Amino acid sequence: MSETPASPSPANPEKAAPPTELPVGPYGQFLSEHGIPSKRLPDSTGVETIEVEPAQLEVTLKRLRNSEEIALDYLVAVSGVDNTDTFDSVYHLWSYSDPNKELVVKVRIPKASVAAEQLPEVPSVTPFWSAANWHERESYDLVGIRYVGHPYLRRILNPWDWEGYPLRRDYKQPVDSLNDKNPHSFR
Amino acid sequence: MSESIEHKTMGIQGANTDASDLPHELKDTITLTTLDKAIDFLSTYVVPLAPIAKWARSNSVWPLTFGTSCCAIEMMSVGMSAFDISRFGSEVFRATPRQADLIITAGTITRKMAPALITLYEQLPEPKYVIAMGACTVTGGMFNDSYSVVQGVDRIIPVDVYLPGCPPRPEGILDALLKLQQKIRTESLIMQRKRAYNQRAVRYVDYDTGKPIDAVKDLVQQAKLELESN
Ligand code: SF4
Repeated sequence: MSETPASPSPANPEKAAPPTELPVGPYGQFLSEHGIPSKRLPDSTGVETIEVEPAQLEVTLKRLRNSEEIALDYLVAVSGVDNTDTFDSVYHLWSYSDPNKELVVKVRIPKASVAAEQLPEVPSVTPFWSAANWHERESYDLVGIRYVGHPYLRRILNPWDWEGYPLRRDYKQPVDSLNDKNPHSFR
Repeated sequence: MSESIEHKTMGIQGANTDASDLPHELKDTITLTTLDKAIDFLSTYVVPLAPIAKWARSNSVWPLTFGTSCCAIEMMSVGMSAFDISRFGSEVFRATPRQADLIITAGTITRKMAPALITLYEQLPEPKYVIAMGACTVTGGMFNDSYSVVQGVDRIIPVDVYLPGCPPRPEGILDALLKLQQKIRTESLIMQRKRAYNQRAVRYVDYDTGKPIDAVKDLVQQAKLELESN
C-alpha cells in the first residue's frame, strides 16, 4: 500500500450520488486484502469512512494499528451517535508517522435489533487500546451503548444513578424543582 | 445570651435552647465562632452599639473559594491588585466553609454539583450570605433548559444578591459586594431573624442522588425527636 489516502478529490463525486455503491477506498482495499469485509460510507470531509461488523471491530483496529504501511496508531476519539434507525459507535484513527493519514471506522447497530429495555452492544477496544477507556464510558453515559468487555463501564459525566441517556433522541429530561418543567415548582 | 440564631437555623425549637442542652451529636454542627457570638450579642442586646457591630461585620465578609466554571476567572481577577477586593475587606478567600461568611457561586451549578454546594452552604457559620454570580446561577443562563444544569441557584440555596452577566465584570462583583454590605448594615433585627429562619438547612435536594425531594421534610426536627425518644 503506497497510495496516499484521504485526498479530498475522490470523495466529492461520491457525495453527489449516495445510493450507488461507493468505490472501495485504499483502507477498505487493505482490509479486504487481509480478509476483513468493510463497507464504504459517504463522508463530507474527504476522510475515508468505512463500516465494519461488530464482530470484526477488534481485528480491524488491530490490523490498522499494527501493520507497518498503514500504521494508524493513534485513536483520536471514540464517540457514540444516535441516528434515526441505528446506534453508531465511531472510531477516528490517525497516524503519528504521516499526519495526512486519517480514517473513520463505524460500527452500526440497527435499532430494530435491540430488544426493549436493552442496550446496543459493541465490543470494547479498551483491552488492547486503553485510550478508548474514558471515551467508551462517556459514550455509554450519554448515548447508552454497552461496550462489552470494558473493564469499568460506569457513567463518567452524569451522576452514577442518572436515569436515561441524555443524547438519545427519545430522551426526556427530568421534571422536578430544579428546572421550570414542573408546574409545582417552588417558584 | 438565652437564645441565639443558630438554634433556629438548626430547626430545633425547644423551650430551652442553651448550647449546653444540645445533644452531643449536634454539638459539632454549631459553628458560630466566639467573635460572631460577641457581635451577635452586641447587635442584639446593646442597641446603641448595633451599628458598630454591623459595620464591623459588613467590612469583613470573607468569601469561600468556590468557582465551578468561567465566572471564577473574574472572581480571581477581582482578588488581584487591579481591582483589589481587599479595599472592602473581602480579600481573604477561605478554602474551608467553616471560616467563610459568603459564597460567590461563580459558575454553572450542575445537578451533580448541587448536593456538594448545599453541603458547603450548610457548613458556613451563621450569618451566611450568597451572591449568585453570573447568568448561569441566576437563571440557568446559556444552559437554559439543559437537562444537567440547575436552572438558577436559588432553587437550592437562598440568595442575597443576584449579579447578572456572562461573566460579570469585576466591577460588578465589587458592586454586588457593596450591595451586600449595605444589606448587612441596614438589616433590622426582625429581618435578620427571618432570614436566619429561611436559611435553615435547605432540604429540597436529596444528598446522595442530587434529586429534589418533593415533600420537604424537616429532617433535623425528625432527628431531634428520635434523639429525645432514646
Ligand atoms: S454566566 Fe457565563 S461566564 Fe459565568 S459561568 Fe455561566 S457561562 Fe460562564
